Amino acid sequence: MKRKSTYGLLVLLAISLGTVAQSKKKVSFVGGARSLMTNNQLLVTDSLPDTTSVKRNSGGYALIDLGVNIKPNDNTEILGMFRIKNDYGGFWGAGVNFDVRQLWLKGIIAKKVRYQIGDINLKQTPFTLYNHQADRLDDLPEVFGMQSRVVDYEKFYRRNTWRQQGANVDFALNFSKYVKEVNFNGYMLRLGASNFASIPDRLMGGATVGVQITDDLYVGYNRASVFDVKGTVADSNTFHNNVNTINAKYTKAINKNTLTVRAEAGKSLSCQTFDTLAPELTDYFINASASFEVPKIKTTFTLGYLNVGPDFRSIGAQSKAINYGNRPVLYGRYTNAQAARSLSLLDVIADDGLYNRSINPQMAQYNQGYNIVMPFGMATFNRNGIYARVAHKTENYSVRAETYLLSEIRGMGTTALRNMAQHKLNASVNLNNYLKTKNKFKMHAGLNIQTSKRTGASLGNVDFKRNIITAGLQYELFKNMEILGGLTMLSAKGTEFTEDRNDYEEVTYFNQTNYDNQQRLLGGGLKYNFTDKIYLSAYYQSIQNQLANQADYTINQFGILYNMTF
Amino acid sequence: MKKYLLLLSIPFVIFSCRKDNLVEGPNIDDLLGEFGITEAFKADRDTVNFANGENVLFTAKFNKLTDWEIHITGQNSGAKKVMSGQSREINASNGTWEGSTTDLPFFKAENCDAELIIPDITDTYTESVEVRAPKTNAGFLLSDFESGVFDPGWTKFVQTGADMDWGIKNDASGSPEKNHYLNMAGTVSWDWLIGLLDFNATAYGANTFPLSSNADNEYFNCLLYGEAGNNESVILFQFKEDENSDGTFNETNEDMYALEVRVNWEGWQLVSVKYSDLTALENGQPATPKGNGVHNPDKLGIVSVLDLADPAQGFASTRIDYLIFTQNNALQP
Repeated sequence: MKRKSTYGLLVLLAISLGTVAQSKKKVSFVGGARSLMTNNQLLVTDSLPDTTSVKRNSGGYALIDLGVNIKPNDNTEILGMFRIKNDYGGFWGAGVNFDVRQLWLKGIIAKKVRYQIGDINLKQTPFTLYNHQADRLDDLPEVFGMQSRVVDYEKFYRRNTWRQQGANVDFALNFSKYVKEVNFNGYMLRLGASNFASIPDRLMGGATVGVQITDDLYVGYNRASVFDVKGTVADSNTFHNNVNTINAKYTKAINKNTLTVRAEAGKSLSCQTFDTLAPELTDYFINASASFEVPKIKTTFTLGYLNVGPDFRSIGAQSKAINYGNRPVLYGRYTNAQAARSLSLLDVIADDGLYNRSINPQMAQYNQGYNIVMPFGMATFNRNGIYARVAHKTENYSVRAETYLLSEIRGMGTTALRNMAQHKLNASVNLNNYLKTKNKFKMHAGLNIQTSKRTGASLGNVDFKRNIITAGLQYELFKNMEILGGLTMLSAKGTEFTEDRNDYEEVTYFNQTNYDNQQRLLGGGLKYNFTDKIYLSAYYQSIQNQLANQADYTINQFGILYNMTF
Repeated sequence: MKKYLLLLSIPFVIFSCRKDNLVEGPNIDDLLGEFGITEAFKADRDTVNFANGENVLFTAKFNKLTDWEIHITGQNSGAKKVMSGQSREINASNGTWEGSTTDLPFFKAENCDAELIIPDITDTYTESVEVRAPKTNAGFLLSDFESGVFDPGWTKFVQTGADMDWGIKNDASGSPEKNHYLNMAGTVSWDWLIGLLDFNATAYGANTFPLSSNADNEYFNCLLYGEAGNNESVILFQFKEDENSDGTFNETNEDMYALEVRVNWEGWQLVSVKYSDLTALENGQPATPKGNGVHNPDKLGIVSVLDLADPAQGFASTRIDYLIFTQNNALQP
């Protein structure tokens, strides 16, 4: 039945295309294709030999995303994209899935107001609507980066946007006096549908009014509001989360250098209308930074202050891309007891099933082993402190360093506050420039250290450290053929506390956790670039995961990945 | 330049103060700390007369937030009172015993043992209290059968079945309150009815019982005993109103509300019902009242207790005691 209806759609699409083509309107095809084949091996180190888990696994899929971009007139553009996916090993038809991957319509009204309806990629500011991707690893070696970009493609992660369904309009007004330009952007999204029993329709609406006062100064007002639609269930209690912010950017040239000051401050309210047990949370945040760009030394210095209140809630900015509640697709259970397998770096990098496509209205779980300092990015609540960045880039190499020194504002289970720090250092070198070879030869390395410490809390003392080290190389053996290598290591050690929260997101319990986790992800492979958008790669990677309270394991994977976009 | 800086500083001024709670969530020391008792568990008196309005105050102090329970057990009656809480201290707000019972029977004049129980702590903390007079309950008592005989103003009918044992028993150890209860047992193979007892208001000196007119404030309570292994008893309570105040109940044009209780448990249990929650029943099914359809507890003239059982299932046995009307709340035994 599903296939019949899909064929019907395709026929309808073909007829429509024919009609459009005949009327000489512009039609173009966009999309992509991908094929992935993997062969996996699981090794378990346990006190009892694991005789129940299947150790060998092979599989994969081939898919094509075929999008038709139609411009029936100069002011209208329509995109419909189908996906046909076939899992390897599935019998013809049984393993084939047809889906509508995206559908949107956009255009311009009266040459002034732009609009888009259907699937939309949206972001506002880091505290209103923003996909922080807080746990994604920076500067992954290309051998892992290929897989990470597949996740981005699958989930529509583009420049910190969230993929939502709804409508969006924007327009601008130019002025000859007082201000240069006023930009308006408004949107309305549907976050969740009612089940007509207990879950109401939940919408998100927002707006940004940006005023470009002069070429140097911009001031904007931003609002993001999540709310239940009254009447979509019998219960008249409704949830609201409103965030209002003001942001500004000021740029000033000082000699040949540039000073840029950015600031955003705002307030949130999170409440339920009739549930007397539900707390009303209201709080504010401030984020301000000054950047000083010195072209002469190709370096930019940034110093900032961050203060996000413990009760600051912003669903649009505090949704996490990764859902740690999901189980990995590969070897979800292991050991004789069929225990749930803890996520590893390999899963976090490559398993798109772990990631959310759109905003999740509930407070997301976070994993201290991956990110304890800012699990919700800059919008992480209960943080106060300073940060600094230095970025230096030449043709031959680049170096970026970043430090966050933060502390809690409100104690968690004790009046003593945690002090947290994150230090990042990433460097890359184009060795071919030094070696004077034509073949590309790039190496890079990164270090990410997070610490959390709480003293003077007696039984609540905390001492935790998490390191991630990455190193990678990319060498062009001959034209378009690259050899890839990469190493990523994670260690998490120490004592921390995780909190249990109730339905109102109030903390009800603290669980003391002793971490002793060592992970090592090693990979290597070959990649042939047909064009910038088409490549074929064969790779091998191995993750070793040593855990404190669970059986250690190793997963070895050989994969062939073909990817193209058009 | 100055005006721009002034503009940029506005948000900082707006949001410059925050009303902070210092701590969020439960205290970690309370969650993880080792339990210790800093002030011994004790009762403020050795003897108590609950009938005179006296109470027993239990006190103790702990070094952390603690889940605790106090179990008070009557040495003779086996009655049990349980008080529980989560606190750093047991005091007047959470450790006062006014003589009430959690598990029937009622406490009697007897020695009681009080034990403080802390989960996962094996140490025992005990106290003893002598109850000189048990708690009395406010309300209109239909009967606790303590006279040992049926009041001549009541109406009694008992079938002549087999193994009939339908009468007032003097059994101090088996009675939930004082010494007597009404035993209702027997085999009637031809009828659901084994026996009935009408409590006529006239037996108490008036045509109606001394209840208020507010049906939401009046509660009927009694104690019922279930026995394992016997045919299930069904106790049907009927509340017959004399709406026209002529001194008699006319079933064709006056309200009769009912409560049917299937005695499918073991031991004594409190049964309580708000008068306004009573419904008219006909053959066990909800029906339209025959009178004005208004619950009028102040016009209640007869309370009937019908002891029923399936005639095909043989011997049935149950007990009843302490039938009492209370105001504002169900009986707190």
